Amino acid sequence: MSEIATKSPPEAPERAPSPKPRRDALWWVRKALWLVVLLVALALPLYLEAEWLKAGQYMMVGAVGAIGLTLLTGQAGQLSLAHAFFLLAGATAYTVLSGPTGDPELLGFGLDPLLALLGAVAISAVLGLAFAPVAGRLRGIYLGVASLSLVFLGLYFGQAAENLTGGTSTGRPPAEFSLFGFPFSNEGDLEILGVPIRETERVWYLFLALTVIAFLLARGAVGGRVGRAWRAVRDNEPAAAVMGVSVWRAKAGAFAVSSAYAGLAGVMTVLWFDLLKPDESEFGTYGINVSIAYLAMIIIGGLGSVPGALVGALLVNGLPQVLALYSTELGWSTGTGEHAFTPILISSFVYGAAIILVVLFEPGGLAAIGRRIAGRLSGKQRERNGS
Amino acid sequence: MTVPELSVRDVTLRFGGLYALDDVSLTVEPGSLHALIGPNGAGKSSCFNVISGLYRANEGTVTFGDHDLTRTRPHRLARMGIGRSFQNAALSPHSTVLDNVMLGRFALTHGGFLSCGLRLPWTRREERKHAERAAEICDFLGIGAELHAPVGSLPYGAVKRVDLARALAVEPSLLLLDEPAAGTNAAETAELASTIHDIRDELGISILLVEHDMGLVMGIADRVTVLDFGRVIADGPPADVQADPEVVRAYLGSENAEAG
Repeated sequence: MSEIATKSPPEAPERAPSPKPRRDALWWVRKALWLVVLLVALALPLYLEAEWLKAGQYMMVGAVGAIGLTLLTGQAGQLSLAHAFFLLAGATAYTVLSGPTGDPELLGFGLDPLLALLGAVAISAVLGLAFAPVAGRLRGIYLGVASLSLVFLGLYFGQAAENLTGGTSTGRPPAEFSLFGFPFSNEGDLEILGVPIRETERVWYLFLALTVIAFLLARGAVGGRVGRAWRAVRDNEPAAAVMGVSVWRAKAGAFAVSSAYAGLAGVMTVLWFDLLKPDESEFGTYGINVSIAYLAMIIIGGLGSVPGALVGALLVNGLPQVLALYSTELGWSTGTGEHAFTPILISSFVYGAAIILVVLFEPGGLAAIGRRIAGRLSGKQRERNGS
Repeated sequence: MTVPELSVRDVTLRFGGLYALDDVSLTVEPGSLHALIGPNGAGKSSCFNVISGLYRANEGTVTFGDHDLTRTRPHRLARMGIGRSFQNAALSPHSTVLDNVMLGRFALTHGGFLSCGLRLPWTRREERKHAERAAEICDFLGIGAELHAPVGSLPYGAVKRVDLARALAVEPSLLLLDEPAAGTNAAETAELASTIHDIRDELGISILLVEHDMGLVMGIADRVTVLDFGRVIADGPPADVQADPEVVRAYLGSENAEAG
């Protein structure tokens, strides 16, 4: 550290250029926009019906998971198709840790739900770390395929370990979440502006808080030393190593962090469904299609962009939910048969098309489009300031 | 601060049956500007990669003061005070100049996912302090105005300077420069030569320079080692080396060149 003081650069100028980005009008506009988004999210439970809130909750589940994946794949450059496995791991860990003790059929530790949630996140992170030796040796499509094997492992264990998951036939209900004794259920009378705050509203606020925490942590990490190491490893491993980054550790760390995010998304999933149910086929709640949906979110949002992952999750997880709600509201005949045109099918087409459009026309995704708009605006502003 | 001596002793590097380096020895005296030159494929970059731990030598040792670099993992080198630039710059094109240069501070800073994510006060303070130093280094190298521009948007001469700034951000006592003038035009090369000379004079550090451009090397180097086909064919002050018939032969070619 002393070297910093002793070695001043030669011919140091009177005023060094500021390392801080300028806080221009655009910066304030951006901050204000985030504030508005947050305020709207806080106010929505007062106006929306429960089924719309449910749809919104599912978007937030996606947002947390997608932020984790964009850190791993976008920032650290490691393709992973294992996200669904870590979702299952988190969901199972929460259900087991918070589950009642003394059930002969089902293992439970009876932990406080908050502790169980933190424990589930930690267990997912450790599982991600356990995969690190594989992740450190493979890259690109090979890593993607290797990580996919975890999804099948999850499918098998989910079915085999019935004393943890409850098995495919019945599944297992998770413990209701509660925070320092405050239940996230219909218990007790709570009102805001005459609107009763019941289970759906409470879980909305819980999910919103978790999403905000996940978002802020990711933004901080991306902007700091950790994110810098991840990007260096992604862009050039020898250069990263020479600058002091242990490539192996950076990759393992990214996998652990991403798995922790997926684990949290898994806890949220099980709280949302109110049931932990291992998949019967690889296309279930924790199957390949879910892994691919998460990849779709971060590609549409722009690889590596945390806000992009958020918007991508709103689209990919939100569209099927919203379409389903509209179809009943507008009286669309959706059908249920094998060849029915279901909202899920329609939204699969929509986000499939969105991926193709993004890859063809804007590989940087929505984040790049956002940056371009911001660039235009600040360019205009600079012109105005200049004249 | 005392600058340790870099000593490469009898290093041999084989790729299968091919000798990339054959019994190479050279010593970079503390505070000197040492150039490593040679024709294409002479083993200059291989030698660099052995020194910076990216290749493992089959035989021989590389020591930096008391440290045996042949037994050191590459990411430990920055902590010992060795900075390195790359032939192809090896930067993150989408990140800003400041972000790229700040990577050089990695070994000097602390903090993992949680302390960065939570923006803990001491993490932010450290980040700010080091960002100021990074900005100073950029300013010294004439890229201070581009701190917040993505590297991908800069002209090539500036990109090479960002790479140099990142290597300096390590606060090295030994700076390894791999073809800093590669791909730059004549004016940029001349500017770069004087910058490299300034760095050595002002910071008092050792510099080992791999270079193609003989003009640049002969103008600024204290000592020159010439490699050809993985072997050292000359070692001495620039004027002596330039007059060496072996060197002339290696550079201009002769009927015996293939036999060497």
